[in-house]
Amino acid sequence: MIIATAEPWIEAPLRRYVDDARASIALLLHPSGQVLAQAGFTRAVDVMSACALASAVHATSVELGRQLEGRAFRGLHHAGAAKQLYLVRAETARGPYICLTVFDSESSLGLVRMYFDELSRELSAAAPPLPAIREPTLAVNFENELNANLAALFGRGPQQ
Amino acid sequence: MSSAFTPVLDELTRHRGVRASLIVSESDGLVVDSKLRFGEHGDRVAALAASIFRKARLSARAAHLGAVSFLQLDAEHGRVCAVGRGDLVLMVVADPAANVGLIRVELLKALGHLA
Repeated sequence: MIIATAEPWIEAPLRRYVDDARASIALLLHPSGQVLAQAGFTRAVDVMSACALASAVHATSVELGRQLEGRAFRGLHHAGAAKQLYLVRAETARGPYICLTVFDSESSLGLVRMYFDELSRELSAAAPPLPAIREPTLAVNFENELNANLAALFGRGPQQ
Repeated sequence: MSSAFTPVLDELTRHRGVRASLIVSESDGLVVDSKLRFGEHGDRVAALAASIFRKARLSARAAHLGAVSFLQLDAEHGRVCAVGRGDLVLMVVADPAANVGLIRVELLKALGHLA
């Protein structure tokens, strides 16, 4: 199965998930619709439309959950005649992700849910923390920052 | 919360060495009803055992052996026994030392309640 990831730390957990859950397609995306990893797709255009649709369905079910029981629905399962899909949210140090899994009679919802819990744990463990956002250098604190950087560069303690 | 299957599961769990009894949907691997002892992972056992039972049923059919009447899986720390009717699988998780003969009789007897 062809697996492509935008970030390398996703590949191993996703590969294991697809193999264990016997999924035919798996897609990991940001809630905004940006693709992070995909497995099983053959054409790029399919990935883009699947991301847009999954993101829209997720946004709808989140809002529906909020209105119905005051909090977002976490997962969504749809059983078709031959294929089934499971759309669920995963939380990591890098923020929430959405996972879309398509499977057939080779697997079952119980198996997919079970292995998704494992994927979720593995992604949480593997996700590197978000890089710290640097504040813009302003004239007011330029000298302080310069001194701190020079102190760090030459191994001196921070100047008082 | 009790269901129509609760008495059947209660009866099975009463036997010595039985750690859990579950009724699971074979097609989706989800628990319909269960009676678990503390520490048993019902969802996990249900998903895996339903998958094994389905594979066994398909294999038996492919080999022209007919329907699966009883399935037993022995592992290092326990055993899983299962019977099925329609889309439902009735399964028991038991200690390795449990009396499988008795469990088998009770499972086959309880099968009538799955109809």
